[in-house]
Amino acid sequence: MSIRGQRRARVTAVLLAVVTAGPLLVLPLRAAADVWRAPALLPQRFGTRGLDVVFSPGTNTLTAVTNSLVVAVATTLLALLLAWPAARWLATADTRHRAPVLVLLALPLLVPPLAIGAGLAEWFLRLGLTNSLPGLVLAHLVAVLPYVVVVLAPGFGPRVRTAEEAAATLGASRWQVLRLVSFPMLAPSLAVATLLGGLVSWSQYGSSLGVGRGVPMLPLVLEPFVGRDPQVAATLAMVFLAPALLALLATVRRTSR
Amino acid sequence: MQPTAWRAVLPAVVATSVLFGGALTGAIRTSVAPLPRQSADLDAWGRVLADPRFHEAAVFTVVLAVIATAVSVALALPIAALLRDRRGVQVLVTLPVLLPHLLVAVVVVLWLGPGGLVDRFIADGPQVVRAPSGLGIVLVYVLKEVPFLVLLLLAVWNDDVEQRVEMAATLGVGPLRALHRVVWPAVRAPLVLGATVVMAFVLGFLQVPAVVGPTDPVTVPVYAVEVTRVRGLAGQADAAVALLLASGFALLLAGLAAVVTRRLDGVRR
Repeated sequence: MSIRGQRRARVTAVLLAVVTAGPLLVLPLRAAADVWRAPALLPQRFGTRGLDVVFSPGTNTLTAVTNSLVVAVATTLLALLLAWPAARWLATADTRHRAPVLVLLALPLLVPPLAIGAGLAEWFLRLGLTNSLPGLVLAHLVAVLPYVVVVLAPGFGPRVRTAEEAAATLGASRWQVLRLVSFPMLAPSLAVATLLGGLVSWSQYGSSLGVGRGVPMLPLVLEPFVGRDPQVAATLAMVFLAPALLALLATVRRTSR
Repeated sequence: MQPTAWRAVLPAVVATSVLFGGALTGAIRTSVAPLPRQSADLDAWGRVLADPRFHEAAVFTVVLAVIATAVSVALALPIAALLRDRRGVQVLVTLPVLLPHLLVAVVVVLWLGPGGLVDRFIADGPQVVRAPSGLGIVLVYVLKEVPFLVLLLLAVWNDDVEQRVEMAATLGVGPLRALHRVVWPAVRAPLVLGATVVMAFVLGFLQVPAVVGPTDPVTVPVYAVEVTRVRGLAGQADAAVALLLASGFALLLAGLAAVVTRRLDGVRR
């Protein structure tokens, strides 16, 4: 590519980045605008009304954030526990059953989350799990598990298995192999799987609506404000954005090293 | 190297089978006998299949899914080509992958909705949010899914593929021909799988059409919520039928994609 072509490609790439990430800047601006009547291009008054409403007891934001966090952490931990051995098997098994098992584990990704939530609600109602955090964890697990398995599986490459075997041959116990060899070698995959699993659970809307309509969860608290009160919606959206932003910062720090 | 025993996969398989299978059987049960009713019938199936609003919703949802997926795929390929060697920009462009769909919908409303930023600059601009054409829905999915597909493409568009492109160039093959003969065979199977996931998202997600979609026609998930609100107990059965039909369609589509991917993989070998 000529120098001119390279420069044009670089400018296009930067423009793309601005178009993709730039629109998010509207969130702090709208969140801080107490009065912003159309067609004014800038807010008439800045203030903290958005924060006041978001953190007033009637909005349930703190409960929703706590619930969403607790469910995301519990779901991700449970998914990691189940996915670790499954991913290991998928990476090493050499049987014709590998593909059908992978398809079975990925199937929930294709079905509307509301269908999963509504279908589970039928059972959870009998088991007393509707409108409860354990019920939400189980409902979110259906959506989170496939992502965690798919991200973890490539991590269990031959390099990891060889190192594990070498450690075992040298007399390391199973726990020592796990702690000193497997975990450190799989740390990057584990980090991505944890991050993705947590974010998928954090943003679950359909399954939360189906199983836990009565439990305040952040997406369910945010949605009604979108058409009604843009300032509150923008403020809540910033709270909703926080984990993704932290993840981005971690990625940038990692790639810039 | 000893392969892991098959028992290792059992916990995940059992959890998925019980929860996912339970969800589907629960939905089927609700569609024929919503709680607390004991007797089963197919009334809800008849009602939904004869409902013109459901027909409209089904056609609208499929059309939106096809358009959003086609546009996303068409944009993802050139963007991935552009970003291949630009790590820093990659992080920013693929940022929406980390964002929840609902958040992207909120940002679109704040920019393009009534009283939004664009509305203040262009007074009589085209309606995007709540547009009867579903333009707002397509826009949210394109913004959200193009980065997902780009990430998928960048994962398979590795140095090996790039070396083959360079080799083709030294043999006098033009860039477009190299894209067609070298890059495309390497990326098409993952692209088909990614496109299937995108299509399943558009078919099944509720939050995006609920926030930026029109009230008439509606998408199938919005229809399901609507009938639950309006028709009471019978509405729960109707919603289950609508969601089961959407699930069936998405699974059928995935089956087709698996066949296509297998064929494409076969051709590559």
